[in-house]
Amino acid sequence: MIYKKLYTILLFAMVSTATLFAQEVGQNNPNTAKIRGTRFIPYPNYTGKPYLNDKFVLGEIQLNDGMIIGNIGINYSSYRDELIYYNSAISAQIQIDKISLKGFSFTDKFGKKRVFHRQYGSASLHDECYFEVLGEGATSLLVYRKVNLESCDTYQSKSGLAYQPAYLYYLYSAQKGYLPVNLTRGSLLSKFSKPNQKVVKKLLRKNGIMLADESGFVKAWNLIEEKGIEVDFKN
Amino acid sequence: MRIIIILFILLVAFQSKAQERDHFSLFTDRDVYTSGETILFKFFAPEEEHSGIVKVELINTGGKIISAVNKKISDHQADGFLYIPDSLTTGSYLLSTSSETTQTVTFREVLICNRFTGLAETTSLLRIKGPLNDSVNTADIQLAGIGEKLKPRENVQLTMNLSPEKLSQIKDNLILEVVNITPGYESRTFTRHTPKTVNRKNDSNGIAVQGIANDLDTGAPFKNGCIFLSIPDSVPALQYYITGEDGHFNFEIENFYGKIPVVVQGSDMGKKRLLRITISRDSLAIGLPEFENSSVSSDLQKTTGNQIEATTLSKIFNYQELNIKTPAGKKLDYPFYGVPTEIVRPALFIDLPDFTEISRELLSGVKFRAYNRIPTLQILNPSTLNFYNDQPLVLLDGVPVQDLNIIKNMGSKDISRIEICRKERFYGDLSFTGVIAIYSTKQNFQHLAESSDLVKLNLDALQPDASLVIQGNRPENEPDLRKVLLWQPNLKPSNTVQLDFKTSDIKGNYRLIVRGKTMDGSAIFKVQNFEVY
Repeated sequence: MIYKKLYTILLFAMVSTATLFAQEVGQNNPNTAKIRGTRFIPYPNYTGKPYLNDKFVLGEIQLNDGMIIGNIGINYSSYRDELIYYNSAISAQIQIDKISLKGFSFTDKFGKKRVFHRQYGSASLHDECYFEVLGEGATSLLVYRKVNLESCDTYQSKSGLAYQPAYLYYLYSAQKGYLPVNLTRGSLLSKFSKPNQKVVKKLLRKNGIMLADESGFVKAWNLIEEKGIEVDFKN
Repeated sequence: MRIIIILFILLVAFQSKAQERDHFSLFTDRDVYTSGETILFKFFAPEEEHSGIVKVELINTGGKIISAVNKKISDHQADGFLYIPDSLTTGSYLLSTSSETTQTVTFREVLICNRFTGLAETTSLLRIKGPLNDSVNTADIQLAGIGEKLKPRENVQLTMNLSPEKLSQIKDNLILEVVNITPGYESRTFTRHTPKTVNRKNDSNGIAVQGIANDLDTGAPFKNGCIFLSIPDSVPALQYYITGEDGHFNFEIENFYGKIPVVVQGSDMGKKRLLRITISRDSLAIGLPEFENSSVSSDLQKTTGNQIEATTLSKIFNYQELNIKTPAGKKLDYPFYGVPTEIVRPALFIDLPDFTEISRELLSGVKFRAYNRIPTLQILNPSTLNFYNDQPLVLLDGVPVQDLNIIKNMGSKDISRIEICRKERFYGDLSFTGVIAIYSTKQNFQHLAESSDLVKLNLDALQPDASLVIQGNRPENEPDLRKVLLWQPNLKPSNTVQLDFKTSDIKGNYRLIVRGKTMDGSAIFKVQNFEVY
């Protein structure tokens, strides 16, 4: 009797599986069908990293029409400021048309969500760029993760060329535009009016924040945004 | 035994209640129309309806579709309009609402009189078999400010009062209309369960284009066929579908309004074999209600005669009836094949007789050869500076061209511009070794002949929203021949609603109707008749 029941359950499971597989045949993913781009041609192999990640990571992209396509393998090319997508169905690396994207995001190996927006660059960046959003608010802290191919000493690279990071940080307001900022205490303070500078200094001191690297700068910026201290875009 | 009987009765009662609630409630502004007029309609979709699009069709008693529109549902309701062709013969017609996810079709019967022949020689009409719908006036709706007898061109200030209890029961918006009625003809509605298969996802918001792709030689359904659906436009759109075992394909067209040209074609993945394309067209013939002959009264003949005269006279003055809110529609930022790297306009150069000459003289890095009646086209790969082995994607007015003989004879006079993408392009899972997009001077893709492997459709996309233009203040020397004095298909319910309207010059019987739905799915109905003398 027990065997009979077992056989029935097994048969039912097999029929269900077959039905599920049958449903998959002929179905298309309408979302990935909207991804447009050109074949990605890998860059010459010099010292340094032209990409943000060592390998493709799962992430999501947002198209101009608002559609979000998730769970796709992407990698950001810092060297060319392009997003590369791996289409596993046709085993091709595709450089997604920048014009078709609003932005993209992924979770890095440390479990941190990284969000990039496509927007017009500042006067020095004459084209549209992908900016990583480090702190979002009335005034956002953005970084343009640019990598340049530059000549270097031959003890660094046999070819004499290396991919060198040249990240550009900006304070950005949709109404007031971009304000370049360096990851230093002096540069940050110079973006505020005299009375506000005192407030910022006190805030940093009280919270024991050292502006030694990007993470410290982001922490400081989030605190400043939280307190609502206004940036003086004329500086 | 007693328990089984009780359970059976409960089951039957539950099923009949469920059936009541799982169909559309469809209303028209009037019951009788003259050809050349416009039908205004409104429908409430059932709670179970999850598709975003509902098709409303005007069909004759034989099941032939006269006209159709697709409406986008918002809050389980939508309203729209249908033009009645001037040439339509006198008789009963059906307005139907159906969707891809609901298997119940709702029909509403209307009488349409031909403007030139009328009802004078018609002694009997085919009518839906069955009793008239019993509509009982809903209590707690008070109408004030409207008398039983009114004069032509009299201003009326209408007040509708709803009790707080009734107001809390109302679901969605109300319909309020004041229309000229035709005694002797009252529309019937009918619902029918159709056995069509539902094979779309529930949250679809697009117009469906479905069909099957077959092998041209064997006629068998073709697996792994690549079906293209092109929408030629200034910025063309393209969708593709890879067929499964059964050869079926299913496209959804979103955010396009009005009538749009659509081209469907297919080939195998190697683009070596063309496929026979058959588009599924819904046929309502299997789901039509039963009809019976009904005699036409002399009163009906007389009234419709007067109405036809009014319609003909109002045509002379050509007043705009509807204010159509043209939506922005779908704006594509750039073509699906990418931003062209080069654009060549042959008209700016010396006149060239055919595409071979154009490619030689104007298109650098494009090799078009037409030897032995088998033309070939290749494009230079900018990365390797060699020609790609495969043929690039060739588009004519945005439609992929499989046979290059079609463009072979196109000269400078036939081509307005040629857009070239030299890089290897990807569109979803498809890849193209470059793209050459040719735009003809006429932009009507007439060079692409319809065949078993290429189907051209003039698709009814979404109907834009429209509101009735109430021309209440006409000059004294011009006749006011409005039959619809008020049409408010989306009236927000509130304790007190005040509306103004003016009677027209048409004398006769009029009706003010309030319709709606309650939270439990039952109908709200309030009617008040009056006469313009």
